[in-house]
Amino acid sequence: MRRIMIAAAAAAIGTSLAACGSAGSGGSSAATASPVNICSQAGIGKLLYQPGVLTVATDKPAYPPWFIGNNPSNGKGYESAVAYAVAKQLGFDSSHVKWVYEPFNNSYAPGPKKFDFDINEISATPQRAQAVWFSASYYDVQQALVALAGTPIVTQHQPFQLRRYVYGDQVGTTSLAFINTVIQPKKQPKVYNTLNDVKQALKTHQIAALVTDTPTAAFISSSEINGSVVVGQFKSTGEHYGLLFSKGNPLVTCVNQALATLSSNGTLKKLQKKYLHSYLSIPALKS
Amino acid sequence: MGDSEGGGQPVPGAPLAGLSGSPTPGSFGTTGRGPRLLAGGGRRATAVSTASTLIVVGALVAIFLLAPGSADVRHTFFDPQDMWQSFIGNPKAGYYSVGAAIWLNIRMFCVAEVLILAFSLVIALVRQSTSPVLFPLRVLGVIYVDFFRGVPLLLVILAIGFGVPALNLPVVSHQPLPVYGVTALVLSYSAYVSEVYRAGLNSVHRSQVAAARSLGLSHPAAMRYVILPQAVRNIIPPLLNDFISLQKDTALVGVLGAIEANNAAQIYGSTVFNYSSFTVAAILFLLLTIPLARFTDHLIERDRRRRLAGGTA
Repeated sequence: MRRIMIAAAAAAIGTSLAACGSAGSGGSSAATASPVNICSQAGIGKLLYQPGVLTVATDKPAYPPWFIGNNPSNGKGYESAVAYAVAKQLGFDSSHVKWVYEPFNNSYAPGPKKFDFDINEISATPQRAQAVWFSASYYDVQQALVALAGTPIVTQHQPFQLRRYVYGDQVGTTSLAFINTVIQPKKQPKVYNTLNDVKQALKTHQIAALVTDTPTAAFISSSEINGSVVVGQFKSTGEHYGLLFSKGNPLVTCVNQALATLSSNGTLKKLQKKYLHSYLSIPALKS
Repeated sequence: MGDSEGGGQPVPGAPLAGLSGSPTPGSFGTTGRGPRLLAGGGRRATAVSTASTLIVVGALVAIFLLAPGSADVRHTFFDPQDMWQSFIGNPKAGYYSVGAAIWLNIRMFCVAEVLILAFSLVIALVRQSTSPVLFPLRVLGVIYVDFFRGVPLLLVILAIGFGVPALNLPVVSHQPLPVYGVTALVLSYSAYVSEVYRAGLNSVHRSQVAAARSLGLSHPAAMRYVILPQAVRNIIPPLLNDFISLQKDTALVGVLGAIEANNAAQIYGSTVFNYSSFTVAAILFLLLTIPLARFTDHLIERDRRRRLAGGTA
């Protein structure tokens, strides 16, 4: 009797596996069957994670100036505003945009994603594009240094001098590659799990400077760490932020169309002026 | 699993072997030398166990390979190219060698282990003391052990690693990150290990103290020459068990920004969006802990044999 039950259980597992397999292949053939008006209202509707709403993900806490008040759904802050602008282009009013929490380190895990796209200051790189898909750029990134006022790096930051200091950054940001290729410090940088840990390390003199994108750097120095200054920003390396999609998600085509429209009609520029402008008058660093 | 020595059968002449001080297989009706993974039973049992092992392992592998997301998972966790890249590292591409980073874990583990052994012995001796003068210290000892056994190690590491530098004291607040990490490990693990010591001290019969004292040894001398040697021998396996755990927990120091194996793996993972680096870190930790685990088994077995041989060792 027991053997029969085991066999039955094994058969059940087998059929459920087969069912999963066929469901997967059915989905992909449906997507390729109607390539023409994939970005029409009906076409997009089929691609959504949750019917009827655009599910957008970001990390917690959501940092200014990308988000304001740690509340992505208020439409304030550059990334929140961009997400709503993209949603509007795709035909979703703000009541049909749903925000979900997705830690950065989970955003590239294999398997189905629980969002349509993730907007979280994620730099698009070719290596990363093997695991997920990115939209076109919605912000071109420059890296900047934040240090405590009165420390040596504030005045001594010629390229050869920059190599002397200990730097810190957040795990998974492209800042670490930037530090090692552009600054080439003699001492190993310190890499923290969250941006708050990096700030704490700067406050307690464990690092001479933190490296992050210019708007974040400017916000940290102006509002978060008393007595800190932005030493300067480096020139662009062509790095840019992209919206993150699950690999193979055709929705990226529609979002790229939306971003192209927002770029050509000046919306992105306008939003950058509104939320990021005060941060962009930062002195340039030689590198 | 060849039982060529006839594992289950009592060996003729066992009492003689016991007298000569060598191990006594089969004594007390056990199967072979201690509890085994595969209890005896001859060729047929071996064949059946081999077959059932193959079926179980085969089924697990089949489920893994046939799962709808199998290719994704294999690429994300077990990609040979990514595993090699994360092992050798490439700072210019934004990630460090996991293989080099484990060296920091090993160093932290070695330093922490020595300090823990010494510090926890002090705590245990204080808690076991009977002198009325030491009463406040005994209370402190109880509070210490309760506190550090109760607070998650990660929180202790964060509190020391970010709190002590923030105090801005001379010298103390300007140490390298691994120093704070090791301090936190020592504080937390000493609480556990002192309890292991205490259990060891309690396991030595009180008549041993009485006998030592009647020989004219002072209390500290009795402790040093009679009680501690017996206590420590009893607790070597649980001590090693704690140290295997300590080897892995050095990975938690990564939260302070130190680039140890786990942090290096995470940096690789989030830089190129592939978790194969974690597999590399796991393999390296296994290579560290398995020898210690086997050594612990060996000590337990040796101790057991000695006791069964008549308690002369």
